[in-house]
Amino acid sequence: MEFWQDTKQPIDAFLKMFEKCMVDPELSAGLKKVNQVILFDYTQDGPDCSFWIDTRGGKLTAGAGKPSDKPDLIMSLSADDAHRSWSNKLNPVMAITRGKIKVKGSATGLLKLAPKLKRVAELYNEVLQESGQADKILK
Amino acid sequence: MFGNTGKIIEVDLSAGTIGQKTLPEEYYKKYIGGSGLAAKLFWDRGNFDTEPLAPEAMLVFMNGPFAGLKMSGASRNSVAGRSPLTGVWGDSSCGGYFAPELRYAGYDGIVITGKAKAPSLLVIEDDNVSLVDAAPYWGKGIESVNDGLKEKYGKNCRTVVIGPAGEKQVKFANIMNEAHHAFGRAGFGAVMGAKNLKGIVVKATKKDMTIADPAAYEKLRKEVNPALKEALAAVVLGENGTAANLEGGMVNGDVPVKNFASNYNEEMGSKLTGSELTDNYLTKRSACAFCAIACKRVAEVKEGPWKTPEGPGPEYETIAAFGSLMNSADLAATIKVNRVCNDYGLDTISCGMTIAWAMEAFEKGHLTKADTDGVEIRWADMETVINTLVPAIALRKGNLGELLAEGSVSAANKTGKDSIDYTCHSKGMEAPMHDPRGGGHGLALTYATSPRGACHVATPMLFMEMGACYWPEIGFEYELEPMTDENKPESAVISWEMGSIENSACWCQFADREMQISQWVDLFNFVAGYNWDADEMLRAGRRVFYLKRLINSRFGLTAKDDDLTPRMLEPARDGEPEGIEINLSGMIERFYGLAGIDPEKGIPTRDTLSEYGMAEEAAAVW
Ligand code: SF4
Repeated sequence: MEFWQDTKQPIDAFLKMFEKCMVDPELSAGLKKVNQVILFDYTQDGPDCSFWIDTRGGKLTAGAGKPSDKPDLIMSLSADDAHRSWSNKLNPVMAITRGKIKVKGSATGLLKLAPKLKRVAELYNEVLQESGQADKILK
Repeated sequence: MFGNTGKIIEVDLSAGTIGQKTLPEEYYKKYIGGSGLAAKLFWDRGNFDTEPLAPEAMLVFMNGPFAGLKMSGASRNSVAGRSPLTGVWGDSSCGGYFAPELRYAGYDGIVITGKAKAPSLLVIEDDNVSLVDAAPYWGKGIESVNDGLKEKYGKNCRTVVIGPAGEKQVKFANIMNEAHHAFGRAGFGAVMGAKNLKGIVVKATKKDMTIADPAAYEKLRKEVNPALKEALAAVVLGENGTAANLEGGMVNGDVPVKNFASNYNEEMGSKLTGSELTDNYLTKRSACAFCAIACKRVAEVKEGPWKTPEGPGPEYETIAAFGSLMNSADLAATIKVNRVCNDYGLDTISCGMTIAWAMEAFEKGHLTKADTDGVEIRWADMETVINTLVPAIALRKGNLGELLAEGSVSAANKTGKDSIDYTCHSKGMEAPMHDPRGGGHGLALTYATSPRGACHVATPMLFMEMGACYWPEIGFEYELEPMTDENKPESAVISWEMGSIENSACWCQFADREMQISQWVDLFNFVAGYNWDADEMLRAGRRVFYLKRLINSRFGLTAKDDDLTPRMLEPARDGEPEGIEINLSGMIERFYGLAGIDPEKGIPTRDTLSEYGMAEEAAAVW
């Protein structure tokens, strides 16, 4: 991995980012509209390298590993590309076209999330800053 | 001949004669089919002085080589000729069910000239082709005519029909298949109306198809069809229709707002987007022949002012044209107006654009109540749009109807007072609902250089800038940054080749995104028996683009006509793309150089034409 020392590091950062998203007024409203369970699958970098979010029924939860319910959408990519993606530095359409991101399931949630990526990236950069990983912030 | 039947129907409505003609295989190899082959037949006839609505005008319906072959998205049909809206080359493609039925009946296309003495229908039942009286249908809306024809000729017949707008020769009248799928653009409904031709019915009893290598084709079909269906874009389109990404497009600045004055209104984006339609109005999905993607919508508005019974739902273009473009976020109104426009037979893009122009003209005082028969034309006033403006246009009612039925450019020219500055078009064709200032600067280049005028489906440039195309075999493996001119002329050359192939093969742009170049080549070879490699296929695409430009040159167009209006080039008033200027002239200059186009005449040079096997055509223009 280019950006990460182990597989726990990215999952911790991404979960902290989601904690911030869940309390951000604009993003939490947007996430509730997604109304899906989404699995972000980075297991190509290690068996534990994944996390999920559950945005169903007006509640927002997230956790490491795999969700207990069947995900509506699974996005599979590398932890490095996930870092680029949450930093809003990866064109998701192009990454999908070139097979860097594999998507399985209903894409409705993905389309609801995509317009919010810019704000998500701001919060992600805050997490990197606060956790002493400012060197990872992509310009 | 393999794949294609080689046969077309020729109809002279003035003489009342119907014949058949066999086309040379060379024509197919050089111009593929669809709008490319139609351009070749138009060029051969050489009647460039004929006005689009004159009896002698030529109207061509043409299939591609894969019609009826059970591939997702491969069974579209093209209509072509001289556009009454623009006065230059026009073509328009339609999905639905007409193309396979025509193929099964034994024909690749229909060439229609002349004017019938009385309203007529062309009825094709295998070898029996006849003209019959259409008096009972004249003056009626498309839905009831389609129903009537199904009753008379059987529910399995396929129809293409014009509505009252076509009969009244509204310059952007469309032609509808099965009252759901539109030959939307360029106004060919008006050409049918001028010919007294209400519609075409086709009914085939056989399904014979002769292809060069059935086993190889079947193997390829089994590989390609699932890939097309499972692609993310296909899943997205299936789930939420062509408006699936309207919300995301709005954030990027791709969706025009208020007659292209702006391209950003997040609230509007979230209220008009495809998932809203799915959640609130969708009753079922629908598809064109053999297409597993099923992006078409069937919708119903159960209550409220826009109560609409279940029927064909609006596509992205209609939702944006009668939504954000008019500064409205009323999704139910777009469902209603879609049905109204479909029934009258109006292209929703040009109709929406013309009304949005009128809204701005009224706001600026360039149009007053004295010009509009007392009607106030206000932004987002969907009641006036649906109940007054659309019917006035379709039926050419009063001064207002006559003014707007000619399209936005003609209306602005008549109105004067600089109102032409806020029209949005190229070559007289109103722009579709993708704003190049946000959608991508390459789109501005392909809008401007498009033979039929501003068009997002003539090339895959929109998808190329989005990152949805990857063709390393032909050199398109680089990333495009939408908001710059970098690599846009280079990719425009590829986009014109690929777009001309798609439109001549009559393949849907939504469906073929996953097709690799080698699969395209194999398909032509397995179906039509060609011995093509990628280069030979691209040469055919390039030839089609060149020929359409030669036709336009015969109509008097030059390089100067490859342009966009000030409104489309000025920075949008808000949203992300604000302040980023489009280097249109720089991109065009480089594109001409790369494509071998003369910078004055705007047509391929003599050498370029010779290189592409078009020496004969070169002799006619140089
Ligand atoms: S993707 Fe949609 S428009 Fe294209 S062929 Fe399929 S159903 Fe028709």
